[in-house]
Amino acid sequence: MNYALLIYGDDSAWVDLPDEEKMALRADEMPQWNSLFEELGKADPNVTGKELDGRYTARVVQVRDGERIVTDGPFAETKEILGGVFLTDLPDLDEAIRLAALIPAAKHGSIEIRPVLQ
Amino acid sequence: MQYMALIYGDEEVWASFSEEDTAAAYEQYRAFGRDADAAGVLAGGNELAHTRNATTVRVRDDETLVTDGPYAEVKEALGGFYLLECASLDEAIEWAARIPGAEHGAVEVRPVYVDPEEAQL
Repeated sequence: MNYALLIYGDDSAWVDLPDEEKMALRADEMPQWNSLFEELGKADPNVTGKELDGRYTARVVQVRDGERIVTDGPFAETKEILGGVFLTDLPDLDEAIRLAALIPAAKHGSIEIRPVLQ
Repeated sequence: MQYMALIYGDEEVWASFSEEDTAAAYEQYRAFGRDADAAGVLAGGNELAHTRNATTVRVRDDETLVTDGPYAEVKEALGGFYLLECASLDEAIEWAARIPGAEHGAVEVRPVYVDPEEAQL
């Protein structure tokens, strides 16, 4: 079964930090991410993941009556926004839940698991 | 440079489609996929199951909390995405505007974060 693990978090406290502080925080969390990558790789050797750039980089594109409207994003007006996604092929939802709980961001944000349609 | 085009739409609209409407919508998506692929900008894409099939996981104080449903109830939910390989944000926006969902819902374009110091998964 294919699952998308959608990583939602509040990046507002983070996004305005100077680059050095961001890098330091990333470095702090890196061992946890590395052990996650190891577990994900064991569960699905073909796992892929993408991290999205911060909320200021988001643009929202809509087409109404043939006219293109581009606004600054993100689209969702929620505190937590999508920050990244893993695409996995796993035996069942329980395994997806186990791995989702290992994502460091689960400790301060939310991981939404959605089946991927074939 | 890679961009994620996140497609948000009202799931109830999709649910209300007749079989014919659904087939037509999928054909529009396939046409977009063919065009984007032919132009060499398509790097991936996935459709997600309805949010009623979502499960949300949070860890608080070392305890894993699992709830049914999406992380937040929103009128227009993430329904899928394309990964686009484009030379610039403007080009990514051009392509995003051609995604059928842009005409009903919205497409959010986000650059994929690249950190040269980190090993890529």
